[in-house]
Amino acid sequence: MENKTTPIVRMQNISKRFGGVQAVNHVDLDISQGEVHGLVGENGAGKSTLMRVLAGFYPDYEGEVSIRGQLERLSSPKQAMGMGIAMVHQELSLVPELTVAENIFLGREQKSRVPGFIDRKRAEVLAEQLLSELEADISSTEKIAYLSVAKQQLVEIAKGISMRSEVLILDEPTSSLTAPEIKDLFKIIGTLKERGTAIVYISHKLSEVFEIADRITVLRDGIKVETKAASQWDESSLVRAMVGRELASLFSSSHSYAPGEAVLEVKGLTRLPHFEDVTFKVYKGEVLGIYGLVGAGRTDLAESIFGLTASDSGELYIDGSPVRIRSPRDAIADGIALVPEDRRTLGLISSLDARKNLSLPILRLLSSWGFVKQKEELELAKESIQTLEIRVPAIKALVSTLSGGNQQKVVLGKWLNTDPEILILDDPTKGIDVGAKAEIRRIVDNLAGEGKAVILISSELPEILGMSDRVLVMREGRIVGEYDRDMCSDEILGALAAGISIGNLNGLNGWQE
Amino acid sequence: MKSKVGFTETLTEQKRISTAFIALREYGIYFALAFLVLIFSIVTPNFAAMKNLILILLQVSVTGIISIGMLFVILSAGIDLSVGSILAVAGMISGVYAQQDPSPTTVLMALGIPIAIGLLCGLFNGALVSWGKIPALIVTLGTMYAYRGYVIWYRVNPIYNLQPWYRVIGQEKIGPIPIPVVFLLVVVIVASIILNLTRFGRHVYAVGGNQEAARAAGINVNFVKLGVYTISGLLCGLAGLVFTARLGAAQAISGTGYELIAIASVVVGGASLFGGRGTVGKTMVGALIIQVLQSGLVMLNVPSPIQQIVIGMIIIGAVGLDTVMRKEI
Repeated sequence: MENKTTPIVRMQNISKRFGGVQAVNHVDLDISQGEVHGLVGENGAGKSTLMRVLAGFYPDYEGEVSIRGQLERLSSPKQAMGMGIAMVHQELSLVPELTVAENIFLGREQKSRVPGFIDRKRAEVLAEQLLSELEADISSTEKIAYLSVAKQQLVEIAKGISMRSEVLILDEPTSSLTAPEIKDLFKIIGTLKERGTAIVYISHKLSEVFEIADRITVLRDGIKVETKAASQWDESSLVRAMVGRELASLFSSSHSYAPGEAVLEVKGLTRLPHFEDVTFKVYKGEVLGIYGLVGAGRTDLAESIFGLTASDSGELYIDGSPVRIRSPRDAIADGIALVPEDRRTLGLISSLDARKNLSLPILRLLSSWGFVKQKEELELAKESIQTLEIRVPAIKALVSTLSGGNQQKVVLGKWLNTDPEILILDDPTKGIDVGAKAEIRRIVDNLAGEGKAVILISSELPEILGMSDRVLVMREGRIVGEYDRDMCSDEILGALAAGISIGNLNGLNGWQE
Repeated sequence: MKSKVGFTETLTEQKRISTAFIALREYGIYFALAFLVLIFSIVTPNFAAMKNLILILLQVSVTGIISIGMLFVILSAGIDLSVGSILAVAGMISGVYAQQDPSPTTVLMALGIPIAIGLLCGLFNGALVSWGKIPALIVTLGTMYAYRGYVIWYRVNPIYNLQPWYRVIGQEKIGPIPIPVVFLLVVVIVASIILNLTRFGRHVYAVGGNQEAARAAGINVNFVKLGVYTISGLLCGLAGLVFTARLGAAQAISGTGYELIAIASVVVGGASLFGGRGTVGKTMVGALIIQVLQSGLVMLNVPSPIQQIVIGMIIIGAVGLDTVMRKEI
């Protein structure tokens, strides 16, 4: 990027604090016209906060922001939008009961010639245009509530693009997109770039950032570590900058693989339309990876095994004898634990502290005559916090105040406390920082070493390949392949999951890690 | 060394400020009550008299008992609008037995029946909410009408000739403390124990905090919901007994509007209507703030419509302030 003119955005000495937390600390950042600027860092590093300052969400920031060389005070999202800055948020901010077109033009409705009325037709036509640019198969008149999360994310992106802004901020835009959708998004980013749009790309997925970014800025604990051209970074220097230390290995699988007898056997499990005729076994002391794209039915399968949702048909066997699991209570009693994909809705009770979350599934064991034994509960919590190295400001701190990685460790700890024989982990490292990812993987590896049966569901190929002893591939609700660890490669699994024949791998290589 | 893992040890200036802030947020309501009492003590000479303070406790006893039941329901992210109607049903049926001369049977019926009736009414609400999957607002709105309709149909005329042995419950004292206040104190203590120390109490907070996560943790969500409405009903039955004995009459219109006083007490006490947050102590403070205001304004000869305006504004102000303080961190 040889751009000698003044950058379109210059942020100088930006600070923002929330209560006692200094989220962003004296950060400088330049964004140039026509560049894709990757913004990376661990969870809580301040990436989103910094960009939300730019998008006008935090009028009480400190520091100076110049847009096109002009010093500006950003005081509202509306003002920022007026200056050509748009942000696509990580948390979806769509109105479920409105249509796609209504959402895209929310607050900027296409006016009709009759004053006070809106031109619905025109909004729909414009929305269709945007969506076809994204090659998204979404009708502009569909209600948001009926769309999958991935499609909602595409609508959110279409909304950001529709503003024809000069600076477009994408905050984790691919977190629920499938591989082909990511490819289309990258194509669009390329087009926008040619038009001169500056794009800020926030992501956890380093491979994506390398693929798309011209320059990469690393933040850590609210402080800027460095901005360099993407070509001057490599994976290990980037990770080092993010976590501030060398990671011995990101994927550790050190347990020796000597599978014992089958602990859990799933036979013909079906729950239409989510998954059909799923049959597999898990053995003691192994990590069974289940790989598939979002929407392949992996989460639904896990939830059915755990009794959260009823299956239509099929059988479960534990240690060879048939079991009926009608609720999570049955599952827990049978020695199954599930670390769910969505920790905020299924994993945590954010109005309770870490101690009470950690003891929740085993409260019965911790109480006598209906009374909770406070001392034992506290001891248990301290033990979990120590062994899992959960960082909490105080043992009574609400879990909602913890970082994503530490929240996930609380969820993991809570289920480990039930001492399960079968542990199902549904995307356990999703949305958490690199350091916490490595720690969680190490814990999982140890569990397999202790003889537990672990089912690891993930959409991150390196994680599946690095951790699993055996891999099942799911696509459209069916198991489409099974591989031993040494026999599978990322290309084979990726192609299988996406439904592409192995001979036709060309489009897949670069970005599928 | 190892034992320190996970705890942040440094206490910076910022953190100290935020600790003070958290203290204010957590205990501010107690200061507010103390402040109100202080103000009224200065402007009305008789306010702080022990007799008057005990009177305030007596006046808060019936709504206080109901508010504690309401707290259980609101903690589980529910609502119970039928509390006033349950009070009336329980009080009326109790009154029927209280007309008769004391025999072991009539005493047992007069005291036991209202509590049993309350429990059954609550159980019915709970069954419809938990297994019926009907929204609590709708269920209890419906039973609010139905229970009230039943009691009016059962006895439209008040029962006045309650026996002295029955009136003791509402009108006598143990030492300096009126018996209704004793009932309230017992309820407060038992409820605190249940919510803070028992597994059921923990489950109430968990279900209200995040129902899905609670179910995933193996909690029987339906049982917890059934439990909170049953507790609410049972306490309304007890309140009906106390109320009738204190008044010396059983009336079909008793307890009208009490659901709103109870909800107000719970939310002024800082509980979240979305569930998962609230305590017995603060609910009592919430009930007392409303009662102290009412009594104090009466003693100042403030006209009743103005009293209502003030109390209404205080409810909005208290909850508004709480919301703002919560956003700060």
